[in-house]
Amino acid sequence: MPKLIIDDIPVEVAPGTSVLEAARSVGITIPHFCYHPALAIAAACRLCAVKLLDGPVKGIQMSCALPAQDGMVVSTTDPEALKMRSLVIEWLMLNHPHDCPVCDEGGECLLQDFTIAGGHSHRRYQGKKRTFQNQYLGEGIQHEMNRCIECYRCARFYQDYAGGTDFGVMGSAGRVYFGRFQEGPLESPFSGNLVDICPTGVFTDKTGRFRARYWDYQFAPSICQHCSVGCNTSPQNFQRETIKIVGRRNDQVNGWFICDRARFDKGYLNDPQRPREPRLDGATCGDDVAVDAAAKSIAEFVRKNGADSLALVGSPRLSLEGMVLLAQLARAAGGARLCYFGDPAQQQGSVAAARLLREENSAYVRDIEQAQWIALHALDLIEEAPMLALSVRKAFLAGAQIFLVDGDPIPARNTPPFKYTAVESLDQVPFEKGGKGVIICGAGKKDPDLLAQIASCGAKLVMLQPGANGFAAGLLAQEHAASPLADLVAARQVRGVVCFEADVPEGLLSGLEVLASADWRRGPVEAKSPIFIPTTTWVESDGTAINYEGRAQRFQRSRLAGLPLKGLDPKYYGNATEAVTLHPPRVHREEVPGGAERDAWQVMAQLIARLGGEPVVEPLEGKWSALRSLDPEGEGIRIFEIVAGE
Amino acid sequence: MIPETLKTSLKARVASALTPREAAVDVMKELQAHYGWLTDEAVEEAAALLGLSPLQVEELATFYEMIYRRPVGKKVIHVCDSISCWCADCDKIIQHLKDKLGVGLGGTTADGMFTLIPCCCMGMCGDSPAMSVGGVPYGKLTPELVDEILEMERNNR
Repeated sequence: MPKLIIDDIPVEVAPGTSVLEAARSVGITIPHFCYHPALAIAAACRLCAVKLLDGPVKGIQMSCALPAQDGMVVSTTDPEALKMRSLVIEWLMLNHPHDCPVCDEGGECLLQDFTIAGGHSHRRYQGKKRTFQNQYLGEGIQHEMNRCIECYRCARFYQDYAGGTDFGVMGSAGRVYFGRFQEGPLESPFSGNLVDICPTGVFTDKTGRFRARYWDYQFAPSICQHCSVGCNTSPQNFQRETIKIVGRRNDQVNGWFICDRARFDKGYLNDPQRPREPRLDGATCGDDVAVDAAAKSIAEFVRKNGADSLALVGSPRLSLEGMVLLAQLARAAGGARLCYFGDPAQQQGSVAAARLLREENSAYVRDIEQAQWIALHALDLIEEAPMLALSVRKAFLAGAQIFLVDGDPIPARNTPPFKYTAVESLDQVPFEKGGKGVIICGAGKKDPDLLAQIASCGAKLVMLQPGANGFAAGLLAQEHAASPLADLVAARQVRGVVCFEADVPEGLLSGLEVLASADWRRGPVEAKSPIFIPTTTWVESDGTAINYEGRAQRFQRSRLAGLPLKGLDPKYYGNATEAVTLHPPRVHREEVPGGAERDAWQVMAQLIARLGGEPVVEPLEGKWSALRSLDPEGEGIRIFEIVAGE
Repeated sequence: MIPETLKTSLKARVASALTPREAAVDVMKELQAHYGWLTDEAVEEAAALLGLSPLQVEELATFYEMIYRRPVGKKVIHVCDSISCWCADCDKIIQHLKDKLGVGLGGTTADGMFTLIPCCCMGMCGDSPAMSVGGVPYGKLTPELVDEILEMERNNR
């Protein structure tokens, strides 16, 4: 372990750590642009200069490209190093347009921060600046090449890290241009990360353009709910609207990056058509009125038809809290049936995966990255778990063999960023008792016997769940012997349902009485439900989700529930003139307009209380109480011990 | 569209390379010789031959100053403006070339004969100031010598 001294502070770091990272470990941030922990070292920007006063190397060195060694004495504040850094930043800023007031990056711009930190504050260069024509890069990303400082982060990420081929660097010297061969949408499903990785405003999020500044945003650590990978994100909200979503580092899950679905697919959160008001028989009502009516309706139905013919229907969209309370609510309703899935095939696969995965065989991301072979079992990885494709790519670049077993041809738009061999069955994958191999499959709709067979071959396993919180749904469905709704309907065992964030197809609904439902989006259930209670989405709620590998992660509420201020109905304003000003209404009001939603588990807790069940103070009880202290900014914890320790 | 014979020979060139990327410059030069400059069509043809994306070919094409992504004259003049030639007053030579040809840097003469491009060092520092015309290097340039060379190159098609 190399020991060195940085600015009089003794530091000991792992071999291979750069001086820049060693300094960061003791709280010293050396300005840098081209360096990014996830990318290979370029040493292109020359900004991270430090002076080595003593030891194996001496003089001015680039700290990002210099591995820490025993006996080094590093100064980040030496006048020579300071001078070098201020000259470098002055030179990087020569052509920069200084358009911060109209740049979306302003306030969250590394170039702003490090220009100041680098000691450049007065412009001496009076000459002409070089300018470029921007390109249309699709609906996600805005291009503004003039702001570029040529750090190459974008090109290195796009081609080297993410395997894209349609974006890169052209020209040489002062004409270096980052873009495409011809204008057009970027093809990589990871292109949105250019926004995060560019240290300045060359690539900004077009979907949130000119809306708010960094200091206007409300944000909190969150977990993406698009697939079962559970990437860590940070939704940036302004006036009850999710403006942008950016990646948040978690080395156990998504590293630094997120896919484009996670970043750009957010319209549904801000949709003014989202159901916002509690409703009873078609008329808006108070929250208590709706909950009372729902409790009364449940009690009456149970008295008339027996608890047996009532099903409480949840889905993998619920948080763990909601799923746990759904079971308690079923008890409070006198033993109603419980559904976490509609489709039997999905439940089978999900439950089987939750049962088969253990601490020993559930693959960590690093297992994928370091695998010698990876078998994708009948899987379109870019469709089901895009971020894992980047982990598989790392293994591929390190020499791993990748197989697509028994898969349908992958559509061109989902071509993964690695080469693979298509084979017909797992027997054709050349491995010996597992080795350092990983099998990745989608668990939804898979035959449990097949999953058991896959699990028996000794490789590490990734079984992707249908839905963001599918693992938890599988665990609870198993624990409470829940049945898929379709089975119950087919066997004519239920006649009434109460749905919580459940998407029940119309075909299933036709023979059922929907007593009440709670959801944050519209659909056939909501349309048919006489009593409706609006719930919050993941940006507006606190909760826990368990990803495909069994990792529980906490997400936090990042904004208040309610209608976005933009486009707010004039009825909330004092008069018509005021309503067009994009200013919060000047009318005093105690509630947020359209802010009646609550987390689904809170709705369930109220119903439990109304039905005479034990009052719920804290949804995570019993074995789950270990998750109460889960740190939303931490790496999450794998739940196998918790489940086994029951 | 390139002729089938050229396509076949380029395919053979790519096949003989350790990695397709290694053959990229040769392929681009051949296509440039065929079209007179590396057209957009040629970039896409090169990409198809090399198994790269057009962007990846463009990255290489725009890096090398002797791959021309715009139409050029019959002979391209690369006149060095790097440090050694600058010390030997290449500015005077460049100015003379501009006056003589009636074009600015990057321009092509009205008769389509010459395109004038500055370049950065041809390794002829010992003979500075230097230039090349249509691939032929010339050193120790003086305005008079430049006139002679241009005359000769114009006649020697």
